[in-house]
Amino acid sequence: MRLPDGVALHARPAGLFVRTAAGFRSRITVAAGEKRADAKSILGVLALGAAGGTTLQLMAEGDDAEAALAALSACVAAFVE
Amino acid sequence: MDHPRPSWHPGVGHPSSLRNLLSPSGGAAPQRRTAYTASEAVQGVVGIVLVSESPRLARGLAHLAGQVAGPDVRIEPTGATGEQVAGAIARADAGAGVLVLADLDVAIHAARAVLDRRGDGAVRLADAPLVEGAVAAAVTAAIGQPLDDVARAAEEARDARKR
Repeated sequence: MRLPDGVALHARPAGLFVRTAAGFRSRITVAAGEKRADAKSILGVLALGAAGGTTLQLMAEGDDAEAALAALSACVAAFVE
Repeated sequence: MDHPRPSWHPGVGHPSSLRNLLSPSGGAAPQRRTAYTASEAVQGVVGIVLVSESPRLARGLAHLAGQVAGPDVRIEPTGATGEQVAGAIARADAGAGVLVLADLDVAIHAARAVLDRRGDGAVRLADAPLVEGAVAAAVTAAIGQPLDDVARAAEEARDARKR
């Protein structure tokens, strides 16, 4: 999925993303370019330094993986500048 | 999860939608502890106190951590006198314990002195870097985790690499 233009995965958006991820049991990894992070770790997600327009890759493993991916995709899509 | 946890007092000025979840009737009447997440019965949200000799620094960090963590966590910035720290702890306490983070010498001593006087496990000083620890702790508190987990998140922030 792609981060909306003008919305970096910093502060507020990163917090929303991590808090969404934390609602699932699955192990969730988010990658931006070469970097990857535990989607439930705020410092990890902030360290991705993902700028607006960056393509994010999400991987989830667990019994609620599909729901987690759907929720996180919706979360990112809802980010507004 | 075995630390002592005071009971939850709803409606004491919690600045958020959480109050509505906990007290649908508007929060006037005391209410039994209420689990508000489906996954885990955690009561209340751990509060965060940020202690610095520079109140401006503490306020700026409270703003940043609040942006990341959202409105459900009480984050109280304070200067480094014992009285200020004690007041901030009281304001941050939503019934699930309070994690105190401090930056330098004077702030740490002030926080320690207050905690030593309290002598309970419901308020703890994090052995953590102030900025990263505050952000990690605030987000962990926001998702309803108990004080042990909030403290651990702050302390793990020591390992956050910058290059």
